[in-house]
Amino acid sequence: MYRLALNMLFGDRAKLAMLLCGLAFSALLMAQQSSVFFGIMSWTYTPMVNIRAQVWVSDPMVEQVNDAKPLRDTDLGRVRSVDGVAWAAPLHTSFVQARMEDGNFKLITLVGIDADTFAGAPAVLTQGRIEDLRLPDTVIVDEWGAALMGRMTVGPDGKPRSIPLQVGDTFEINDIQARIVGICKVKRAFTGGPFVYTTYDRAKGYTLGARRTLSFMLVEPQKGVTPAELCDRIERDTGLKAWTADTVIWSWGERSLARNTFWWFWTNTGIPFSFGTAVLLGLFVGIAISGQTFYSFVLENLKYFAAIKAMGAGMGVIARMLFVQAFTAGLIGFGLGAGMAQGIGRVMIEKGMPPFVMYPQILWATFALVLGISFVSALIGIIKVSRVDAASVFRG
Amino acid sequence: MSHLAHTVALRASGVDMFFGTQENQVVALRQADFEARRGELIMLVGPSGCGKTTLLSVIAGTLTPQAGSVEVFGQRLDGLGQEELTAFRRKHLGFVFQSFNLIPTLTVMENVMVTLLIQGRPYDEAHARTLAIIDKVGLKGREESRPNALSGGQQQRVAIARALVHEPPLLICDEPTSALDKDTGGHIMQLVRDLSRSPERCVVVVTHDHRIFRFADRIAEMEDGRISRVVDDPKLLDTTHL
Repeated sequence: MYRLALNMLFGDRAKLAMLLCGLAFSALLMAQQSSVFFGIMSWTYTPMVNIRAQVWVSDPMVEQVNDAKPLRDTDLGRVRSVDGVAWAAPLHTSFVQARMEDGNFKLITLVGIDADTFAGAPAVLTQGRIEDLRLPDTVIVDEWGAALMGRMTVGPDGKPRSIPLQVGDTFEINDIQARIVGICKVKRAFTGGPFVYTTYDRAKGYTLGARRTLSFMLVEPQKGVTPAELCDRIERDTGLKAWTADTVIWSWGERSLARNTFWWFWTNTGIPFSFGTAVLLGLFVGIAISGQTFYSFVLENLKYFAAIKAMGAGMGVIARMLFVQAFTAGLIGFGLGAGMAQGIGRVMIEKGMPPFVMYPQILWATFALVLGISFVSALIGIIKVSRVDAASVFRG
Repeated sequence: MSHLAHTVALRASGVDMFFGTQENQVVALRQADFEARRGELIMLVGPSGCGKTTLLSVIAGTLTPQAGSVEVFGQRLDGLGQEELTAFRRKHLGFVFQSFNLIPTLTVMENVMVTLLIQGRPYDEAHARTLAIIDKVGLKGREESRPNALSGGQQQRVAIARALVHEPPLLICDEPTSALDKDTGGHIMQLVRDLSRSPERCVVVVTHDHRIFRFADRIAEMEDGRISRVVDDPKLLDTTHL
């Protein structure tokens, strides 16, 4: 019977196309918007990705990685003395204005790393060497920042164009020269400012007047000590807050700074609401279009279902037929929608904007919601068919 | 048990059927008695609104009468629940509808197979039996055609094949020739009669079409919700009011 049910569905190509359009559009909207949402949210903990360390130590009041509450430099010594610490390095992060050669200002994320160990340095340099940061007034700028902060000039066609900053170019931070000795590749941040790396001591100089400049401490556990264990010891011995660098936001690790940052933005900003609205819209559009199309498919076939009922098919058989039809359409619609979302995502990833992260969980959730839409559609049809009197087939 | 008891295929006794509430009640059947014999093709005739279709629905178990009893091939229908009635129809009844009711998105083969698949028969068995009946109704070679590619007569042949593929004892035909011309209607009725000529089968045909009366073994005339008379010879009927 199921084969015939599918043939009934595929036989009406116009209705099937409409049904698949509704389901695919719904799946696309839900998967694509969710992926952009998680992409944007993944930007919120970008420093955790760009500045690599197993354990981060902060002021106890810190809630998320973008909200550094400066520590005393002496806290570094206290952390280094905790049993299980292999090494601990200072880290400065702050948002400051950079003044470009043409007089323009740009907001940057200044990152000061330990000059001895380069702990927290960017992993990939496309130009220059990390060691050159030890030279006076030097910085390393990320690729996107180099393009954003580029020098404006006039092209051969007479139109203004920006030339990305290169090694050797300079700009100023608080009237102090910053000379570029390297270009690095890092992940972009939610706050929008390019990452500008320098040494911790020089960062102190760039942030004139700041009494405390130690934002975080990057800590490496000794062999045999897990990051979570070390966090416990640091908190117990120093009263500071210690975090693991785990960036899997789905995990339940209370100690993950990335996860806490993610949920801080979730609860303290309107981002989930706006994207949630779009996802809900996708769901409602799916239910409306697919439900209505499937209902009209059932209405068109109502007299045939009545005939089948008269011929002795129970409602169980007919309900299973309708479920098979609805779920098959849902499966194909999901495939089309998710495929389109992947395609759009690929383009977005190539362009870098907007951020796009399609977790497997997003696909599973979208799949479940599309099946939910199919279930509702089938249910509406089943209710309609169950109310049809089998005797109606004798009334012409 | 008498010889007559063996020959009775279906019997409806004292059947009352009315629709609507007390103030707007419409009486469709009033103490209707009807009997059909095994191996017989009996026609139910009468003017519109006399209760033919209602009686057919009661016999088919798609309507439950308010009073009276219905017995089909020894099975009492009164007292059966909906599920039992559905199972009864599935096993014992074949239907030929006025507007064919063939599913337009399915092929001839699939439309006929529906009956067997509803019964839970395996696909291969259903396929083989369907091929045989399609051959019998003269549609060999059209198995993969869609209903809209067939003439009215061919569509009704498909409907007959669908009604008989599971070899039901009782075949119910509701105005089987109303959408067909005289010749095609005659061919269809000949086919119904040929295929149903068996001591284990009974055919009940509801019709207005006096051109096909000659195919009946007996004709039961209805008036005001009851059988007014039963004749063996169509010439005895006054067809002016039908």
